[in-house]
Amino acid sequence: MKLLRSFQYQLFLVPILLFYTVFTIYPLIRSFFFSLTNFNGYSKQYDFVGLANYVKLFKDSAIVSGISYTLFYAIATTILTTIFAIILALILDRNFFTRNIHRAIFFFPSIPSGLILAYVWGFILSPIGSGVMNNLLHGLFGVGPQPWLSDPLLAKLSTILVAVWAGAGWHAVLYLAFLQGIPKDYYEAAAIDGATRWRQTWHITLPLLAPAMTVSVMLLLTGGLKVFEIPFALTKGGPGFETHTITQVIVLRGISEVQFGLASAMSIVFFLIVLVLTYFQVSVMQRREEKIQ
Amino acid sequence: MKKHSFKMLIVMLMTTLLVSACGSNANTNDGKVGSDGASGDKKIKLSFLSWNNETEMKPVIDGFTAKYPNITIDFQTAPPVKDYIAKLQTMLLSNSATDVFIMAAENRNELIDGGYALDLTGQPFMAQMTDASKGMFTRDGKTYAFSQAGWVGGIYYNEELFEQAGITSEPKTWQEFIDASLKLEAAGIVPMYDNSGDISIILSALVASMTVSQNPDYDNQLFAGQASFGDGWLEPLKLWKEGLVDNQLVTSNMIGLTGDQIVNEFAIGNVAMIQGGPWNIPAIEQANPELKFKMMAVPGPEAGQEYYTGAPNVGFAVNSHSENKEAALKFLEYLATPEGLEQFEQGTGQIITIPGYESKVHPALETAYKEGLLAGKFYLPMVSWPRHQEALRNQLVISVQDLLVGKGTEDEVMQAMDQKLKEMESN
Repeated sequence: MKLLRSFQYQLFLVPILLFYTVFTIYPLIRSFFFSLTNFNGYSKQYDFVGLANYVKLFKDSAIVSGISYTLFYAIATTILTTIFAIILALILDRNFFTRNIHRAIFFFPSIPSGLILAYVWGFILSPIGSGVMNNLLHGLFGVGPQPWLSDPLLAKLSTILVAVWAGAGWHAVLYLAFLQGIPKDYYEAAAIDGATRWRQTWHITLPLLAPAMTVSVMLLLTGGLKVFEIPFALTKGGPGFETHTITQVIVLRGISEVQFGLASAMSIVFFLIVLVLTYFQVSVMQRREEKIQ
Repeated sequence: MKKHSFKMLIVMLMTTLLVSACGSNANTNDGKVGSDGASGDKKIKLSFLSWNNETEMKPVIDGFTAKYPNITIDFQTAPPVKDYIAKLQTMLLSNSATDVFIMAAENRNELIDGGYALDLTGQPFMAQMTDASKGMFTRDGKTYAFSQAGWVGGIYYNEELFEQAGITSEPKTWQEFIDASLKLEAAGIVPMYDNSGDISIILSALVASMTVSQNPDYDNQLFAGQASFGDGWLEPLKLWKEGLVDNQLVTSNMIGLTGDQIVNEFAIGNVAMIQGGPWNIPAIEQANPELKFKMMAVPGPEAGQEYYTGAPNVGFAVNSHSENKEAALKFLEYLATPEGLEQFEQGTGQIITIPGYESKVHPALETAYKEGLLAGKFYLPMVSWPRHQEALRNQLVISVQDLLVGKGTEDEVMQAMDQKLKEMESN
């Protein structure tokens, strides 16, 4: 009886399983298959080349640069967004008159597509004197025009700036939701014991936000590793290969340069990197969660 | 309990996997869906994936359907360049490509090699194409696409700003060009913006005047392994770097500018020169209809060696697996008639290169049209390179950007290009 009941429930899973298999599992397997060939994306004729693509890709300067920039971007945006999101959540949790409007304002950047935001920021960070940011800096501090999007280091920092600006609000709302769930008695007890605001936050709030942190950091990390549109729209990957993300290199090699097999090999390697990093991160943070509970 | 549900999940996953695998195999082995492809009075639906949007193609489509009322056009479009290439590629791989599609410099090799384009060599309308137009679409003596237009690119300059700086005539040598730019700078005018986001028009033209005009076979030698990039590109690159980069006329700061921003700055008179082609004119005129500007050629080291960039326009090709080949050929034939040419020019604003047709060219492009396009004094690496154009183009852009930020030398750029060519050839 119980078996039949649970089977009935599982039947509901079939549609979504089908969808998932067709659109996620099957392309993944096909990609792995293509990565072992020299398929160029057009011709119906292609041959098996075994692991040649994998050997080739580690010698490719574009992918090496892509991996290092993407890791830098993912880790930097994760850390900075988490810090800003928690601070924002703490502020927006307080009771003040325009609280709801402020929550809406900070949440807003996560609504439009990353592409649109990046184009607008590209305009603001324009490297010539008449660009918005340069104009502002010149007016306030008398500083000359900065090459926000063309200097190797500044370009990387600009992409991180835009990403943090866009993501902080959304994650702040996530933390806000968890903040509501922390019982007020803990704070009262701590206040009676004479703990300052700061110590309360550090010893009560942050540990109890651990579940939210696990989810948020995982989303930020995977999102940061898979990113394409923000760096591409801001700098087109320039100057040189400096702000090429892994995804952009895959698109470059696979579609523009018609080396579909090589790009498939890159995507498989990419998939493994993301898998390992995420597994590592989630298990570490879940252990931390349990320790705190 | 947990064990059971887990097993169920695995079973279901396996089933769905099997089903999808079988399903897709069946799809790829499937033939094309039949349709009534006979010519004559039967109603025919001709599908067309267009490079230009619906508004631009409207005059031609209307004219064609008026002439052949039994043929309706299923008009589909994708914006050039990368989006179009990707969409067409997907359609071809899934056997759902349109009857007529566009062959561009970027995908011509793949389309011809893959057998996707019909051989048009014997067709009567092909005789109207000039040899310069045919070259790009020909392989082993067979031509696979019809192109009736061309474009010419060069340096747009603001006539009023030139007057302001005391420049009275277009520079005729490279040194005069650099001197004119420095004069503009001295007069407080920004001489040029170049975001190095694509192969520089100036660099291409220099390669034409310094290498290709002396040795027309250079690109073939390059791809046959008999010459290197250094042989043909090093001297032009050095000249470009010493003239523009060392004089701070083109800087790494400009890399962050978008093409739209550059065109806009030119239109409102903030910069004296930009590189561009006919496609920039609508944007310039919309931003500032009063602007007095003209296109000039890129001067070579000596007088009389100036060159433009340019190429035949993308070509119309017929799907070799199409069920409506006759109707498709009729469409191409219509494009070659005087009405077809006029309607195409009217809708898209492009310059017709079919001999015997006098194209109405924008006043800014008149010199460029006569002395550049019609005289054959134009060069575009993407068209001259027989293979791997995209890969080489990307590599050149990256290497030049590295050169600009000081990360490499001219020799290293040449090495990177040679290596890229070797890598692509070994595939």
